[in-house]
Amino acid sequence: MTDLSISHDLTEALAETSLAPKQAAHSPQEWAKQNLFSSVSNTIQTLLFGFILVLILQWILGLIFADERDWHAVTTNMRLLFTNNYPASQYGRIWFTFGALLSTAMLTVAAFRYFPTFTVRKILINITGTGAFIALVGALAPISTTPRLVMLAVGAVIMAAAGMAVNNRPDGDEAAVSLTAVLLVVAAAVLATIWFVPFGNDRLINLEAVLEPGTILLETKLWLSLMVGVTVVAYFAGRALAGVLPESPFKQAMVGWWILGPAFLIFLVIRDPAFDYGYVFTVDIPIALVFGLGGGALLYFLARPGNEALARAVGVGILAVCALTFILGATGSVSMLQKIRLTILALGLVALLAPTFSGEPRVRRNFAYAWIGAIAISHWLITAINTPSTLELRADSFLGGFMISITLGYYVMLASFPMGVLMSLARTSKMPLFRVMSTIYIESVRGIPLIVILFFFDNLLNLFLPNGMSVSKIAGVFIGYTLFSAAYMAENIRGGLQSVRSGQFEASDALGLTTLQRTVFIILPQALRVSIPNLVGQAIATFKETSLVSIIGAFDILYIARNVVPGQTAFIGHSIAPMLFVSLVYWIFAYSMSRASRTLETKLGVGAR
Amino acid sequence: MALAQPIPGRSQHERPPLWRDAAVLKWLIQISVMVVVIAVLWFLSRVASTNLAAKGFEVNFDWMSGPANFQLGEGIDTVPNTAGRALWAGMVNTLRMAGAGILLATALGIVVGLARLSSNWLANKIGSVFVETLRNIPVLVQIILWFFIISELGALRNADSPLGESGPIPGWLYISQKGISLPRVFYADGFYQFMALLLILAVPIYFVNRSLHAKRDREGGESIAGRVTLGLLLVAALIAWFANGIMSFLEVPLYAIEDAWRAIPQPLMQTVLMLIALGAAFEFVRRFLNSRRTPAGLAKLTDDDYFRMVFAVVLALAASVIVWIVWPGLSSWIINSGGDFWGWFGDKFGADVNDVTRGSRPIDAMRPTIGTGRFSNFGPTGLTMSVNFAAVFLGLVFYTASFVAEIVRGGILAVAKGQTEAAAALGLSRSQALRKVILPQAFRIVMPPLGNQYLNLTKNTSLAIAVGMTDIVQVGQSVFNKNNQFLAVFIIWGAFYLICSLTISVIVNYINGRLAIVER
Repeated sequence: MTDLSISHDLTEALAETSLAPKQAAHSPQEWAKQNLFSSVSNTIQTLLFGFILVLILQWILGLIFADERDWHAVTTNMRLLFTNNYPASQYGRIWFTFGALLSTAMLTVAAFRYFPTFTVRKILINITGTGAFIALVGALAPISTTPRLVMLAVGAVIMAAAGMAVNNRPDGDEAAVSLTAVLLVVAAAVLATIWFVPFGNDRLINLEAVLEPGTILLETKLWLSLMVGVTVVAYFAGRALAGVLPESPFKQAMVGWWILGPAFLIFLVIRDPAFDYGYVFTVDIPIALVFGLGGGALLYFLARPGNEALARAVGVGILAVCALTFILGATGSVSMLQKIRLTILALGLVALLAPTFSGEPRVRRNFAYAWIGAIAISHWLITAINTPSTLELRADSFLGGFMISITLGYYVMLASFPMGVLMSLARTSKMPLFRVMSTIYIESVRGIPLIVILFFFDNLLNLFLPNGMSVSKIAGVFIGYTLFSAAYMAENIRGGLQSVRSGQFEASDALGLTTLQRTVFIILPQALRVSIPNLVGQAIATFKETSLVSIIGAFDILYIARNVVPGQTAFIGHSIAPMLFVSLVYWIFAYSMSRASRTLETKLGVGAR
Repeated sequence: MALAQPIPGRSQHERPPLWRDAAVLKWLIQISVMVVVIAVLWFLSRVASTNLAAKGFEVNFDWMSGPANFQLGEGIDTVPNTAGRALWAGMVNTLRMAGAGILLATALGIVVGLARLSSNWLANKIGSVFVETLRNIPVLVQIILWFFIISELGALRNADSPLGESGPIPGWLYISQKGISLPRVFYADGFYQFMALLLILAVPIYFVNRSLHAKRDREGGESIAGRVTLGLLLVAALIAWFANGIMSFLEVPLYAIEDAWRAIPQPLMQTVLMLIALGAAFEFVRRFLNSRRTPAGLAKLTDDDYFRMVFAVVLALAASVIVWIVWPGLSSWIINSGGDFWGWFGDKFGADVNDVTRGSRPIDAMRPTIGTGRFSNFGPTGLTMSVNFAAVFLGLVFYTASFVAEIVRGGILAVAKGQTEAAAALGLSRSQALRKVILPQAFRIVMPPLGNQYLNLTKNTSLAIAVGMTDIVQVGQSVFNKNNQFLAVFIIWGAFYLICSLTISVIVNYINGRLAIVER
């Protein structure tokens, strides 16, 4: 392995660092010699960066441990920061949602057969590093002598124990532990932490900070323990299911859940709609059933080979009926629910698409299922949004705090996806008018900052609505953000579309596919697969940029940390501690999202063609 | 031919019926969708104008010349007379922020990116932690955090204070809760004369450089062209530094140009603008047709091709209509501001108008000074960032640098390893290989995403509103809070940011074009 360490010149380093594995060092001394002091320039770098590290760490620790920093401003306001004014009596709903997401995450891990192993050696090295970090923090933090000595001692002990263990492992040691073991150990550690570590039982009662020593609130402890239990149970259940169920449907079910499940959790569980069940059972559900099942059957029939002309005729006929209902509705002679009109419109358009899906029964069945699914979701959302919430709220929105960021990010991505696909297709199409329209839209939206667009939709959306119609702040934000996000989505998908080789186009022409068939069955599946990494990147960016809603006065976590908490009498002017906490929360979410997506990409080969 | 879709241009003798003709259907669909889009937009604008009329409100830009009634925290004009002037000052603040941010974010990003490539474990890890931390925290959160951190710093004290002058380097660098101030280098009165003289002196130097290069190409050997040119330029700069006073005669021709410009009649300007638009369209069509020309003659044009040409002509005609009918003020504006520009330019050379001392220093520097408890806003002082500016600046720089670092790292790693080996085989030293083989190629890979980051940084300057830095968004908000002209302000915002984005993408595309591998 001599060729790996001849030179530490930059050119060599470029070629080597991240491409080739380093020769494994056997002891900490060897490791330090290899990685920190192998040459003069390396030693200089070590000293220089060591100095920088000490300066930065000292400054950051100074920020965290400064005397004037009151971290009770964070601990007493946890509920406010995460959920704003969500009623405390209904907290079970949020915990239920959280548990549902955790357990389905575990099921997804099982569905994708992601069972990695972790080598003992690597774990021990990480523990050594943690010990070193604890000792470093103990040395640099501006704290009194006793905790400093404790931290130094703890860090040194951990470092020494783990380092000796690494030293004592034989050469070429490949011993590893499974994900199950790691999960169980982590679960046990989490349980021990919440039940035995004295974080203090801090609450905010009538705007008074109540600080009690001891462990956290019993209710929270119980819920958190339940979450840990649910996670572990779901993991084992998932492994069992993975052994029984065939692989592909299990995966598809999980992907479908992640796309649609949150919509149901948010509206059904967290919002707690006050359904008028009589009306729902006599009107809403029958309408959805008629259109869903009847429309599905009709589409299945129309998609039969040989029915192309009939499908077009039926589609045009339905559209004509639809136009008639709109005209009669406008004149006031026939009153009809708006959602029925819109559904008829959608059915007419989709019936025109039926010839594209004509073919073997499996394709036609999927076509009909897609229609039924779309009807189910859209009718569910229409009903849910139009139903008032039963929650006793002190503000107009049941969303607040960090819940806004997650929900808004999720819905914006979901809603901008179809728009993005359509616009990317339009931009790459050979139809000039479509191309010009979508290019103008995409480029002008991408040239304007999000905050300007949010200002527009916050201030002016109601100006563009007919008399008597109005939209709440959060809905305006959602619409503006979706229109904004769709332009970026279109560009990301366009990248994927351009990576599809021209041979694919030619081959599908040779097969006699129509333009629409070629797009739906050949081009889009390949293009979307390639653009997944970029779309995940966009999802993370979207999630981060939801923080902008605080500027237009929505009560998200940033607004609360910056404006609400420092205004409480107990914590006047304490803004740095809550802001540091907000940074940490965003960081944890964004970082774990990017790590998870990178793991998925490498494990599943997503994004590669 | 069992094709489901007729290929245009191949089945002319058996045209399908009109309702199945692909070309007809294609245009039918496009036009109907466009009609729907236009109808929706028309409907929305009708609703908006009805709603505005119901409130008795009219969207206009007259307020631009009205009084501003508010002050700006910093910038070229902190007490603007008119709202238009206030917006202009806000724009300048935005541009300053964007320019300075781009420079520093690039520098920091390159350093961190190289650190991540270092074989030194510590440098590598610090780089990784920098990137993974900063790019996963929203930039808005970072900006607000910086704002609070800077506000918590010590008070600003001058030398008279019993506690002693605040630092860290009194007289040179102040970091305090009032902001950050450091020495400033700026171009002074003699700058324009200096540049004019330097340009004139550069002409012979250019020819010397060219002949030296030609000599090297003829005779081979080590080139001295670069060093000689640099030396001559330095000598020229030295001469220009002291002798720049002789250029003040330029005042006369510049004022003459101003007068000539102002004398242009409006119809002439309108005609010129129209001719430019039509000429550009004509040139586009000509080049387009040339690109479709094959050795066998003009290739068959699709309807898309025809559309492109018609679209260009329609755009040019629309521009002409705008120039002549919709907005005749544009021409007079160009005439007036052109005159203003040349007058301003002439003032820079003249001794009579602006008290410009002939032969004064082209570049000057100042150290920061502090009054009692605050930086002095005007007069001789250093380069001062207010708390708000510093917060936005630091937030943007660190956030963007984390992305730049990843781009730089990725770009260098993407250069194939064979290139390094080939350079070594040719006998290049390591630094030569880096300078002449790896970095040029990495630059080519890095440039497009880097341009994207610059665009993002420019757009993110709008977050300045969160900490009250007076950029264009904040000033615009102050304006419409007073007069409710949100729509007008929004149009100005949109136009401003679109122009910024367009400028950056044009520059980046130009560099990309220069860097691209020339393929045959």
